[in-house]
Amino acid sequence: MSVVPPSRLAKLTKLRCNIFQTVYNPTGIRTGAKYLRARLRGPAMMSYYPPTLNISRVARMYPELELVDEDEEQRLQDIEDRKKRGKGAPKKAKTKEDGRRNQRRK
Amino acid sequence: MGLRPNIRVLRDMKARQGVLDNEVTRRAYLFVARNQNLPPQIRHQAQLQLNTFGRYTRPTTVKNRCYASGRGRGIMSEFGLCRYQFRLKALAGMLNGVKKASW
Repeated sequence: MSVVPPSRLAKLTKLRCNIFQTVYNPTGIRTGAKYLRARLRGPAMMSYYPPTLNISRVARMYPELELVDEDEEQRLQDIEDRKKRGKGAPKKAKTKEDGRRNQRRK
Repeated sequence: MGLRPNIRVLRDMKARQGVLDNEVTRRAYLFVARNQNLPPQIRHQAQLQLNTFGRYTRPTTVKNRCYASGRGRGIMSEFGLCRYQFRLKALAGMLNGVKKASW
């Protein structure tokens, strides 16, 4: 068996790259081409969850129908009632010193 | 999706949208940053740009969750359901070709 010199093997590789239209990269240097070659995954990711329909969404899509989301109305009404009884959410702290964390420490 | 998606599902949807919106630019920066033929300074700049992208633009933040219950573990990827929802739906005959084994 005769030994093929490396220079001839390199030539062969170069020719093969020429024929199959691939990049001749004998040193294996990283070109980042794989990030361009890979398929985009976003569209497939977006189609994972089936589309959902709910009242608030339909109401937003068609404002002329004047749909009423009863659950949402009830929730807002409950919040109003709670506020009247003094059980509403506390006011947002204006500065960090007013925050609940600091009040507790004092 | 069940009656309403839970917060983890909403966050996952947000991540999916972010990946879709930023995928092309991120890929371009990745190409520059990983390309050893380019000068190191430019590659470094591209890497710094990559670091400025938000958390929900990376494809690795996306997780397939159960579309019926929102559970994140025990998902059967063929059906997109967690193991319990899969069982419920299979027993109810809602999954084509799925049959309870018995021998």
